[in-house]
Amino acid sequence: MTTTPVLHTTPDARASAGWLRRFARTTPGVIGLVAVVVAASCVIAGVVVGGQLDSRIATADRVLDHSEPFAYSAQKLYAALSAADAAAATEYLSGGLETAPMRARYQQALADAAEALSDATLGAGDAQTRTALAQISAELAAYTGQVESARANNRQGFAVGAAYFREASSSMQTSMLPSAERVYTGALAAVDEDQRTVATLPWAGLVLLAIVLVLVVVGSSVLVGRTNRQFNRGLVATAVVVALVIGWIVVANGFAAHSVELSRRDGTQRFEELADARVLAQKARTEETLQLISRGDITAGEKSFGDRVEELTGLLHDDPVASDLVAAWTASHRRQVELYQGGDYPGALAQAIGPDPGGSAARFAAVETKLNDAIEQTRTTLRDDVAAAGTRLSFSPTGTLVLMVIAAAAAVAGLWPRLKEFL
Amino acid sequence: MKARLAAALLALAVTAGCGAPESPTSVTVTPVDAMPGGAQEVTTAPTAATADCDREASLRPGPQPAPGAMPPGSTMANIVARGRLVVGVDQSTNLFGSRNPATGQLEGFDVDLARELARSIFGDPNRVDLRVVTAAQRETALQEGQVDLVVRTYSITCDRKKKVAFSTPYYVAKQRILATKDSGIRTAADLSGKRVCAVKGTTSLATLYTLNPRPTLYGVGQWTDCLVMVQQGQVDAISTDDVVLSGLLAQDRNNLELVGASIGDEPYGVGVKLENEDLVRFVNGALAQMREDGTWERLYQANLQQVAPSPGPPIARYQD
Repeated sequence: MTTTPVLHTTPDARASAGWLRRFARTTPGVIGLVAVVVAASCVIAGVVVGGQLDSRIATADRVLDHSEPFAYSAQKLYAALSAADAAAATEYLSGGLETAPMRARYQQALADAAEALSDATLGAGDAQTRTALAQISAELAAYTGQVESARANNRQGFAVGAAYFREASSSMQTSMLPSAERVYTGALAAVDEDQRTVATLPWAGLVLLAIVLVLVVVGSSVLVGRTNRQFNRGLVATAVVVALVIGWIVVANGFAAHSVELSRRDGTQRFEELADARVLAQKARTEETLQLISRGDITAGEKSFGDRVEELTGLLHDDPVASDLVAAWTASHRRQVELYQGGDYPGALAQAIGPDPGGSAARFAAVETKLNDAIEQTRTTLRDDVAAAGTRLSFSPTGTLVLMVIAAAAAVAGLWPRLKEFL
Repeated sequence: MKARLAAALLALAVTAGCGAPESPTSVTVTPVDAMPGGAQEVTTAPTAATADCDREASLRPGPQPAPGAMPPGSTMANIVARGRLVVGVDQSTNLFGSRNPATGQLEGFDVDLARELARSIFGDPNRVDLRVVTAAQRETALQEGQVDLVVRTYSITCDRKKKVAFSTPYYVAKQRILATKDSGIRTAADLSGKRVCAVKGTTSLATLYTLNPRPTLYGVGQWTDCLVMVQQGQVDAISTDDVVLSGLLAQDRNNLELVGASIGDEPYGVGVKLENEDLVRFVNGALAQMREDGTWERLYQANLQQVAPSPGPPIARYQD
């Protein structure tokens, strides 16, 4: 290869550049320049705006297909793990040989946890979350092993069964549940971030559209000076179409933002509150059971039960049905504590885990069912609102692009007759 | 030339960002080796048992009041007024205090003794409220009045006698070693370099800490937690009182054995709040009765016969 200087231009090229410069100073040159610049900026702005709007729709779809299902399964994982531990604790408290319903509840909780783990692993994007989920998987396998060891020893009347159960529950409470909670909190934060992205205005596109308008105005005034004519109809049409596009974006975005706002208020925030409420209820239930398992001084346990129920009641303040259910459960818990402190351990035990519909087990189950239903319902609201936000924007990428091409065509079509006068 | 440059640039632009996709990072997880909650290696000296007192001597009983007729104003009268005797016991030490998984009831020598003490106060062994206390909670439970008595394999030591009062000993245990059969541990000297488990706050742990060379020690909450650690291969041996160890041995006979001579004697007494001297004298009186009327022997036969034939009740010594 020879070392030709790259910037060296041939005399030919220099001459044509000079001709262009001279031509641009002539009236037909100016008209052509305005037509080309306006049309090109219209197309560029259309492509940018369309792309930006398209990415917002993609984000809304991502919430629906990805981040929301992930947050949901992370929440479900936490609840299932907690439910498995509560079921195992009840089984242990009932004295060795578990009844069929107790065993079924434990097995159901494990199946729920497996489902949630599988769903969550699919949705977990980053390696850190997948590591946390893998760790939970491994620990869950160890957990079930310990629970079975506890059962085997219980069957032989060996007290070491209780120690295996305590070990299992301790790893659940101190390791698995906190990691599941972290995964879930992170997932919900991601949903919220995606939702906010959907609602943001496509600023870069809007700025480009404004520049197009400025170019149309500048071009028109130059042409008015040159040709001594009124405003060019084509350029006026371009300006109108661009203004229309800006209006469309702002209005559609406003509707989408409103839907997003609803989805965050009635969806994400409510979902988070309800999921927190469910976690608190389960922690309080575990506390209530552990008081009887440890069978010692319950002052600290009572304080923590009370704190959790108080926080739970706060979260449910605008849901009278759920609040009543919590109150009924707390009443049953107070009865259990009275019996325990009166020295009636079997009575307290029956109140806590017995089949009586007025007992704590049934009352807690009612709270749990109510919260679960509310979570499912909130989930539907969230998804509907996010889908609505996506729908508000649905035609806007193609629509704005088509309109901007029309705007470009209008500019060219409007200026062509003027240009033709000189040819 | 230019065309080639343009082509190269175009090729670059087309291929940029879509080279061979990076292989997704695979996650790594460390194997799960769960230990009982609260288990930790013991590296600082537990409060050692010092022998600067006559630990077995207790307050001499006065004339023993009949059940239900406690002297007015006494600690026992307050207990009668409350209706139940609150006793701190264990729920995880076979033979002394453990929860029968089949019935959910607490049973063992300590539990039976607590019932007999309720019989001495009320004339009814069922007027007892059993509270589970861990080894480390025993002093505070008494000092804060959560329980009236602690009957929980409670070794009498001079350090503890500064904080709580003890009855005369009702049982004298010997600290020995429970090891896996293949561990090669036969005596206390073999513990060097091995991992040994004991409950935090016990004299057994303090004694183990003084061994030279010191084994690797793990402290846990309850004796059954030690058995879990042995079965999970996390420790090689457990060392504490022979009766506690035989309770553990009974749960895994095929793999464990009780070895070694006594590392130390552990007299068990009933713990009482330091200020309640009247209650100490009352309990000593009740224990004296049980030694004489065969109740002690009956409790031994019911709970400890499987460990060794009855050595007879320990002799009471009084300091007035």
